[in-house]
Amino acid sequence: MDLSTPRFDDADGFYATLLQAHEGLSDSQSNLLNAKLVLLLANQIGRADTLTALVAAAREDL
Amino acid sequence: MSYELPTFPYVTPPERAGAAASAPARYPLVIVGGGLAGLTLAADLASRGVRCTLIDEDDTVGVRGASSRGIAYVQRTLEIMARIGIFERIAAKGATWSVGRVLAGEEMLYRFDYQPESVSRQPTFVNLQQFYMEWFLVDRIVELGLTDLRWKQRVVGVQNHADHVQLTIDSPDGPYTLQAEWVVDAEGVNSYVRQALGLKEETERGQDRWCITDVRFQQQRPQERWTWIEAPFNADRGVWQHPMADDVWRLDFQMAPDSDPVEVSKPEVARERVAQMLGPDVAFELVWVGPYSYRTMLMERFRHGRLLFMGDAAHAKSPFGARGGNSGIMDADNLGWRLALLLQGNAGPALLDRYDVERHRAAEENIRITARSGRFMQPRSEAEFTLRRAVLQLARHHAFGRQLLDAGRMCAPHHYAGLPGFGPTGEAGRAVPNVPLAPDTKGSPAPALLDVLRAAGSDLVAFVFGPVPLDLAAAIETAGLPLRLHACTDATATALLQRLTGAPAGGVALIRPDSHLAAALPDRQAGPLIAAARAALALEL
Repeated sequence: MDLSTPRFDDADGFYATLLQAHEGLSDSQSNLLNAKLVLLLANQIGRADTLTALVAAAREDL
Repeated sequence: MSYELPTFPYVTPPERAGAAASAPARYPLVIVGGGLAGLTLAADLASRGVRCTLIDEDDTVGVRGASSRGIAYVQRTLEIMARIGIFERIAAKGATWSVGRVLAGEEMLYRFDYQPESVSRQPTFVNLQQFYMEWFLVDRIVELGLTDLRWKQRVVGVQNHADHVQLTIDSPDGPYTLQAEWVVDAEGVNSYVRQALGLKEETERGQDRWCITDVRFQQQRPQERWTWIEAPFNADRGVWQHPMADDVWRLDFQMAPDSDPVEVSKPEVARERVAQMLGPDVAFELVWVGPYSYRTMLMERFRHGRLLFMGDAAHAKSPFGARGGNSGIMDADNLGWRLALLLQGNAGPALLDRYDVERHRAAEENIRITARSGRFMQPRSEAEFTLRRAVLQLARHHAFGRQLLDAGRMCAPHHYAGLPGFGPTGEAGRAVPNVPLAPDTKGSPAPALLDVLRAAGSDLVAFVFGPVPLDLAAAIETAGLPLRLHACTDATATALLQRLTGAPAGGVALIRPDSHLAAALPDRQAGPLIAAARAALALEL
């Protein structure tokens, strides 16, 4: 599965949005924000095989 | 207030009554254990005209006195009890419900109602203290008059032979030995028979601790199942609130993993817990307090020669989703008609192997689902807590979040799709709900699926959608199988049954005595129907 091809409309913009969202949050609030975002994104993707591959890719290098 | 339980008469067994016989008597069928599964099987067999012997270690219902344990009975269970003949009594005594709510503190995260999707004559759920269910079953068994009930007797020895099982039984008049052609063990998770024979199983003990606190209080609360995942009045741990019979409410509190079961069940400690939940102004009465933890256990096989295992003796799991008692009752439902056909000479032991295949897969599913719920209710790490908190927050605003929120998935009958003996179509293997088969006439409800199945005894029933061709009737007659035809002539009234079974107009739905669809056939030819029935009966094709 191709997980590497860039797909962002605006990668820099997304990264900045993400950093901004974390501003002023405690570590536990940030963790919660990330967890909610993961679940929201996962629901947008929906497909089980894609999600499984994404989770595996995220687990790499840990 | 505590519960008043019935006691049943101990009768000196024939083995201890007269002079000692030279050889142990041989019985066709002995059930060990009079809990939900064992009593359901005995009542089911008696309703099919089959005699058996049931051995139970005490002379009352419930577990160790007045404990209530199981409470929620699902639609399929209620249908089984309707077939056995005690549904009306259960519905009159218990609390019928269909709405569940999940809450966070004062805030409701979401509400769901099972009723709109229900098509059965029976309601979606009835809550009832387990001992009432057992009590009604015993009354029904006594009324049917075919079962040898042996109270205050306990199996203390077992030998599994090729053509019989020998049991040594302790009675108030001393021990005795008997032989049985078939034995069904329904002793519960600590089954003596399973352990004495050293039969293979896998066990995993849970760390999660709960404390049931049944109370009676004078406050109107809706007849609904309420779940708090993180209850502020219980140190942010889980709480369940369920209505039951006698105006008693089941409050089930999740405890800290290291809590002491003796400490948490002290009346003053329990009272304090309930007061935190109900508030200072609500007077209440403690009815019963029962701390518990749970384990997961699955036997490798449910049939060992002449010995069959069911209920908690065969598979144990956490209580999330009411999958313990209900799945034990569904085991009995799956096994009853097979034993009846076998003992009446209409089927061979191969039909019992199918019990193992079907109910083992159902148990695997139940364990998988309850384990997932258990992990949601008791996260194992900070990361899991964070993910759960994310789900709870998202569930407030987003439907998909509710999909992830898993406070127990209610027990549903297993879909046996793809297992031996079932037809190839998608619906084959499903339990068919108890739908009406004719329009209601004034004053009397129309016959429904279960009425036809009950009248057919332990025969399979082929529901023919359209007139029954003469040659089909003749061929079924000649085939000599435990199979009968039921013509569905009112196409409008049986449209629902057709849709649920996937059988077209002019086709046939072959339904087993346990309501599961064996096969859906596209036409009314005798050959394919007889082949489908032989497959369902585990006979050579």
